[in-house]
Amino acid sequence: MNRREVLTLLGGGAAATAIMRPDIRALAQSGAAGSTLTYGQSTAILTLDPAHGAFTTYPGGYEAALCLYDRILDFDADMQIKPELAESFAMADDLMSATIKLRSGLKFHDGTPVDAAAIKANIERMIDKERNPTNRPLWDPIESAEATDDLTVVLKLKQPFSQLPNSLAHGSGAIVSPAAMEKFGDDKIATNPVGAGPYRLASFSPGQELVLEAFEDYWGEKPKAGKIVFKAITEAATRISALKTGAVNVIDQVPPALVSQLKGDANIEVISKPGLRPIGCIINMSREPLKDPKVRKALNLAIPVKTIAEKVFFGYAQAPDSPLAFNTVGYSSVSPLVYDVEQAKSLLAEAGYVAVSEIVANALGQAGVKVEITKIEGGSYWDTLRQAPADLKWDIAMFGFNPSNASGLYHLSSLFKSNPDEASKPAVWNAGRYKNDEVDALLQEADSTADAAKQMEALAKVQEIVWNDNPYIWLQINENIAATNGAKGVEVWPIVFTVVRRASV
Amino acid sequence: MLRFFAYRLALIPLVAFGVITILFVIFKSVPGDEAAIVAGSAATQAEIEHIRVQLGLDKPLIEQYGRHLVGLLQGDFGYSPTFRGNPLPRILERVPATLLLMLSSILVTIIIGIPAGVTAAAYQNRWPDIAISSAVVALLAIPNFWLGMILIAVLSVQMGLLPSFGLAGPLSLVMPTIALSARLIALVARMTRGVVIEEMRKDYVRTARAKGLSRRVSLTRHVLRNAMIPTVTVIGLQAGYLLGGSVVVERLFAWPGIGDLLLAGINVRDYTLVQGITLLFVTGFLLINLAVEVLYVQINPRLRHG
Repeated sequence: MNRREVLTLLGGGAAATAIMRPDIRALAQSGAAGSTLTYGQSTAILTLDPAHGAFTTYPGGYEAALCLYDRILDFDADMQIKPELAESFAMADDLMSATIKLRSGLKFHDGTPVDAAAIKANIERMIDKERNPTNRPLWDPIESAEATDDLTVVLKLKQPFSQLPNSLAHGSGAIVSPAAMEKFGDDKIATNPVGAGPYRLASFSPGQELVLEAFEDYWGEKPKAGKIVFKAITEAATRISALKTGAVNVIDQVPPALVSQLKGDANIEVISKPGLRPIGCIINMSREPLKDPKVRKALNLAIPVKTIAEKVFFGYAQAPDSPLAFNTVGYSSVSPLVYDVEQAKSLLAEAGYVAVSEIVANALGQAGVKVEITKIEGGSYWDTLRQAPADLKWDIAMFGFNPSNASGLYHLSSLFKSNPDEASKPAVWNAGRYKNDEVDALLQEADSTADAAKQMEALAKVQEIVWNDNPYIWLQINENIAATNGAKGVEVWPIVFTVVRRASV
Repeated sequence: MLRFFAYRLALIPLVAFGVITILFVIFKSVPGDEAAIVAGSAATQAEIEHIRVQLGLDKPLIEQYGRHLVGLLQGDFGYSPTFRGNPLPRILERVPATLLLMLSSILVTIIIGIPAGVTAAAYQNRWPDIAISSAVVALLAIPNFWLGMILIAVLSVQMGLLPSFGLAGPLSLVMPTIALSARLIALVARMTRGVVIEEMRKDYVRTARAKGLSRRVSLTRHVLRNAMIPTVTVIGLQAGYLLGGSVVVERLFAWPGIGDLLLAGINVRDYTLVQGITLLFVTGFLLINLAVEVLYVQINPRLRHG
């Protein structure tokens, strides 16, 4: 026993001991049930319902949901899709329907069987706009769900939708016990979640602490921890201290600047994985001089992307070489970003913007055009970004899209598919008004082909066209960084999740 | 005394009404579209409009205001998208942790700040005074979050004496209390020192000393009582600061209080929740002021006729 333990035992009473040594507490409480894994999370968990706001916080709520709920399909740590509740999953050749065959004998935490009726009830809830206003692009394409026998569900689609597996594997595809939904209703299920995942609810104080315990009847690989405690620690420095003292076993969202602090500690392991969210500046293409492709190309040439990745993010970021991040499904490399102020100058001169080019040359000898930075409060940022062209008050705007279903098609469609009405607000995230008929046609083709190779080919073409059209000033792709002090099996997913579902202490 | 108290108490609903109105106006004029926030980042325009109708945000402002007032009278703070309904119970369950932190901070302030000030005054310009006054300047200059981080780094990470975050047992109260009360201790010590020095020069003290009372007895029996009035004022006024400071300190120590919930609400853009907590903060401030006024009269009977 070291000094810390002695002192806390003497002075702190049982409660203080428990918070400092979760392992001791777990042994005292559950004996054979095993260990307690404590996860200090950067985002507080507020709700645990896949509908009605989809767990409210990203990634916090989703990370807990991955332990509580199973989904029809699952992602592995590299975002490859694999079956979970489904024994098999098959899309029809015309991509207008899909057949799900469930594993037999599965149960929710409350004993309700996981059967076709349960899946049907869940899918119907997710496609209902009233009950599930968020994540609409993932669920809108589904028309209906029919149970053809006890363990078979057929999903009918409104249009060919090759991304259906991604929707079912997405965090919001969590399958809730229909009996619990009945019992608690849509209002209370968010704090009384009942799923079929490896861990079941023990206690929940929204915004503070969530305690899950191993579900002994879990069908798959048995849970490796007796308990998982999620604690909200929003301040990064506090999370790191908590990890160093051993009060928690895992933390997420380590700021790149603080990684070196942790690297020096032999007990601590830093886990990082490149994200799927390319950060950049949307270029408002409804305005002069940004309509000119030469000007847009020049802007990209004037950004020292390497320096940003290395100096601002301490190497925990990379400059992109395509509109998609490196690990997105469908990613295809186009060409690396080049930092060349001279070429930027000559392009701007060619385009007739000598004045601007001089500024480019002057500004710090690095970055750029004379930029007036307007900071906008987070609550109104999306609103400011997504306006009709006439109401756009910006030339460039910082933005990064995180394809939470890991689909490059979803990513490219959300950002670069032309808007149905050019005079009103953007339909999804094409706020800069990019419009290229060839891209539209290729995206349509990718969405309606069942041939994966063909789809990849179409997506590769889209990336090449978009990359050369420069609708963004591309900046960097950040890495997601988590850290543990001895916990095993913690996964960091590219979509910002730190997953403790298969972890142990 | 009772009349004075009743009068002050009667003013509270009036002030609260004003506060509710001002908050309503502020929250309605904050940039950003509530419906768009509830709908999430991937929502289409049609879905946003749908949610706007669901939440009653399409109604005229005056009607929304009316509903808001009626709701508040019934203890309904409105629709919080986070808690899918009235956030009041969720806010109230956070109150004890914040109160605990505030009370312990005030207690520590009184226990340390007042004796420190009196000691400095009694040893004016000698080494105890110089030491205390220097400490006061240092504590006033250190921001609470920085002090908190240093405390965590030294007491938790290096020495392993105290838990670094959360509320579990009496030990976890130590560092947040120090971080929150440091500035107040300094203010109170400085105030007390000044007032005691001033009072000790007055005629009644000279009289007391002349009739044979020792310096110590005249200080504790006569001077202190008079010196307490400005001190209580400072503590009372600064209790409001404690509420504000608690937001920062609660975040730093992941303390399960309302300040922490306020930040969570801001992070997920839950207007109803943030508005409700702000209202609670303002009400708390009003009640603290009332308590301070009552205390005045207790300490200084001369004010009873005022």
